[in-house]
Amino acid sequence: MIRLLGAPFAALGRGSTTLAEGVGRWGMLTGQTIQALRHVDVWLRLLLPQMARVGVDSVPIALFIAMFTGIVLALQASYTFTGAIPLYFVGVLVGKTMMLELGPVLTGLALSGRVGANIAAELGTMRVTEQIDALETLAYPPVAYLVVPRVLAAIIMFPVVTALAIGMGIFAGWATSIQLLDMTSAEFINGLTLFFVPFDVTFAMIKATSFGFMVASIGCFFGFTTEGGAEGVGHSTTRAVVVSSMVILVLDAFWAVTLL
Amino acid sequence: MKRSNEAMVGVVILAALILVTFGTLWLQGVTLRADEREVTAAFNRVGLIKAGNAVKLRGVRIGRIREIQVAPQGDLVEVTMRIQEDISLPDDAVAIVSPESLFGDWQIEIASRDHFPEHRYANPREPDHLPGYSIPDISQLTATADRISADIEVLTERVGIAFSEETARNIASLIENVENVTQRLSDLISQQADAFSGVTEEIQVIAEEVGYAATGARQSFERINQTLAREEFSQALSDMTEVTASLRQITREMEGTPEDIRGMAVKADSTFARINSIMAGLEAGEGTLGRLLEDPTMAQEMEGTLQELQLLLSDIRENPRRYLRLSIF
Amino acid sequence: MAIQIRDLYKSFGEKEVLRGFSVEAREGETLVILGGSGSGKSVTLKHVVGLLTPDSGDVVVDGQVVSELTSNELFKLRRRVGYVFQFAALFDSLSVAENVGMGLRRHSDMSQDEIRDRVTECLEVVDLEGFEERFPAELSGGQKKRAGIARAIATRPQYLLYDEPTTGLDPVTRAMIDQLILRMSEELGVTGIVITHDIDSAFRVADRFAMLHEGRCRFVGSPEEIRSTEDPVVRGFIEGRPELMEKAQ
Repeated sequence: MIRLLGAPFAALGRGSTTLAEGVGRWGMLTGQTIQALRHVDVWLRLLLPQMARVGVDSVPIALFIAMFTGIVLALQASYTFTGAIPLYFVGVLVGKTMMLELGPVLTGLALSGRVGANIAAELGTMRVTEQIDALETLAYPPVAYLVVPRVLAAIIMFPVVTALAIGMGIFAGWATSIQLLDMTSAEFINGLTLFFVPFDVTFAMIKATSFGFMVASIGCFFGFTTEGGAEGVGHSTTRAVVVSSMVILVLDAFWAVTLL
Repeated sequence: MKRSNEAMVGVVILAALILVTFGTLWLQGVTLRADEREVTAAFNRVGLIKAGNAVKLRGVRIGRIREIQVAPQGDLVEVTMRIQEDISLPDDAVAIVSPESLFGDWQIEIASRDHFPEHRYANPREPDHLPGYSIPDISQLTATADRISADIEVLTERVGIAFSEETARNIASLIENVENVTQRLSDLISQQADAFSGVTEEIQVIAEEVGYAATGARQSFERINQTLAREEFSQALSDMTEVTASLRQITREMEGTPEDIRGMAVKADSTFARINSIMAGLEAGEGTLGRLLEDPTMAQEMEGTLQELQLLLSDIRENPRRYLRLSIF
Repeated sequence: MAIQIRDLYKSFGEKEVLRGFSVEAREGETLVILGGSGSGKSVTLKHVVGLLTPDSGDVVVDGQVVSELTSNELFKLRRRVGYVFQFAALFDSLSVAENVGMGLRRHSDMSQDEIRDRVTECLEVVDLEGFEERFPAELSGGQKKRAGIARAIATRPQYLLYDEPTTGLDPVTRAMIDQLILRMSEELGVTGIVITHDIDSAFRVADRFAMLHEGRCRFVGSPEEIRSTEDPVVRGFIEGRPELMEKAQ
């Protein structure tokens, strides 16, 4: 009876310790990543290809998402503002929302699926096929070889992709406004500039950078800790995407609370 | 393969950098043209302007605010603006801070002093700095109206203490002015009602109400006139207090019901008109009544705030749509 | 110049894999460690290069205790040890030549040309000349394994560790890999540890045998000694007679 009653608590306890252990091990990997930065000779060569994979290859999907977000934002804003609020507020809404929220977050989420999953699957496969062990036996520090270039590439390229996505979203909003909403370009731009402060851009870049770091390091973490063959790789990949998506949303709220 | 990778990474990063840099500058209204010059203006206070806001001449944007600093002495705010090189400013140029719209963005308008002589401009320390003046926003005006009504109450009390034949004559002329203003006010309201008859029935209702009030006021003023002739000053005084009370009530309403700005604007108009006339009466008394005030600066202060109120009113009259829009929220 | 494994303990969670395993690979010899699947052979081998740290006990290579080395010393040690993984563990994203040259690029002052020559040479040794530009996905299992050996020997190590080098290969390839192991030992004087459960192959390459059973060393001796041993577990294993092993339990 006591055991029966205790079961949910035991499950809760196990859950929390597993979470705490995971966070701790992720923290250790992050610490190792920072230490591994000193092996410049190892990771520097690998940074550029990773930047191409993380950044350049993600540009189309990010632009695609941002374009439709911009269109929908403009249409929905005009729908909401019908008659009551001057239409140039469409520009305010598109600009602010793209910069502060949707640009960084949607790009982050899209890239957590694309980049985070890719990293977790790749490193997971390398783990279960002993390629990571092989790296060590060839005297390569695996964190410097595998984690550092991916994390750095994500830190550098997430803001880049996000900036392009924001530009695309605003452009799409503008195009929608003047084509479908009977607004003039000047009205839209007036709205766009009305409440703009340079900090909006800084805020977006801070968010994107932190998302990049989290997505890459979480992907690396789940890849590195993969166990048990192909099934394990699939498991790691799923968890990397789920966890990094959740972390993005939590971080998003965190930045909104601390920086705004 | 590798070479093109490098090139693509470079292109993407460069595109993002250009986008961020030029996008930010563009949205801030910064032009990269070198043919700009700096102009500095001195203000006592600067409202809600911030760096990047528009600087306008005759309603046209000619530059932006670059920097806002309190002078080391702490008595002035010095605002540096960058404006187009090729535009020459009026010789007696002044800088006026005002809201660009009601949505929180402010601007500096550069104008000739001749056009707005009524403002009390700050005195710049440097000869090449423009004198500046900041138009108060609507919330400040509400507070000011409240203060004025309190002042008038005090004034009325003091009038009761030291009433004389001479001051009675002054009050008579003051009441005459009040009548004039009341008439002007009802004219104005009927004009407004015409202009926006399609927009609102409320205004008409309010106009009627104010009309009643005006009639009532005129009646009471006539009584004052009669009583003054019979030298029954105490009755006149109580009428005076009545006016003040209605003024106070309107002010309270202004603070209490911001959603009904249309009504507020109209009521405020009439109230301010009354205050105006009372003040005019004060002036007409050549300081006789003014001497009744313990603090001689009180009258000056009231005059200043009254000017501000009048400015708002004239703005409401000229751009009623700007204020009507508020009621939408 | 030898590898000594002394009283090694290692468990993963509840599971005790090594319980006091001791064995020595003397300089220049090829030691074959026999043992069933899951008996801890690979775990032992990973301790030698510091991929795993023992719960207790030591692995001593060249007089250095592996688990006590700093990461730099460990990297230096690893340059002298070649590791042949069970499934080759080639890097999927790199060509065969890049895979083989990997260790050289990391820690030698060899020029690009010298590295290319060495890679070609190593690929010739394992009979893979002409495969430089192929990617691992384009290789068969045997070819991958040989490429893995080429990678392990490219740095001219003093020690070679083979993790089941012949498992899952056809007889011809197996024979070829056995010859390779012998050549390494005879021509280059490499000290080798081969872990396997392929008895034929074991007898072809072994100078000495050790048998890992239930986490401990059950038997150490020469090929002649293992053939004549009376230990039912060892006999059962090499003759493929489980009933003997069961009887011994």
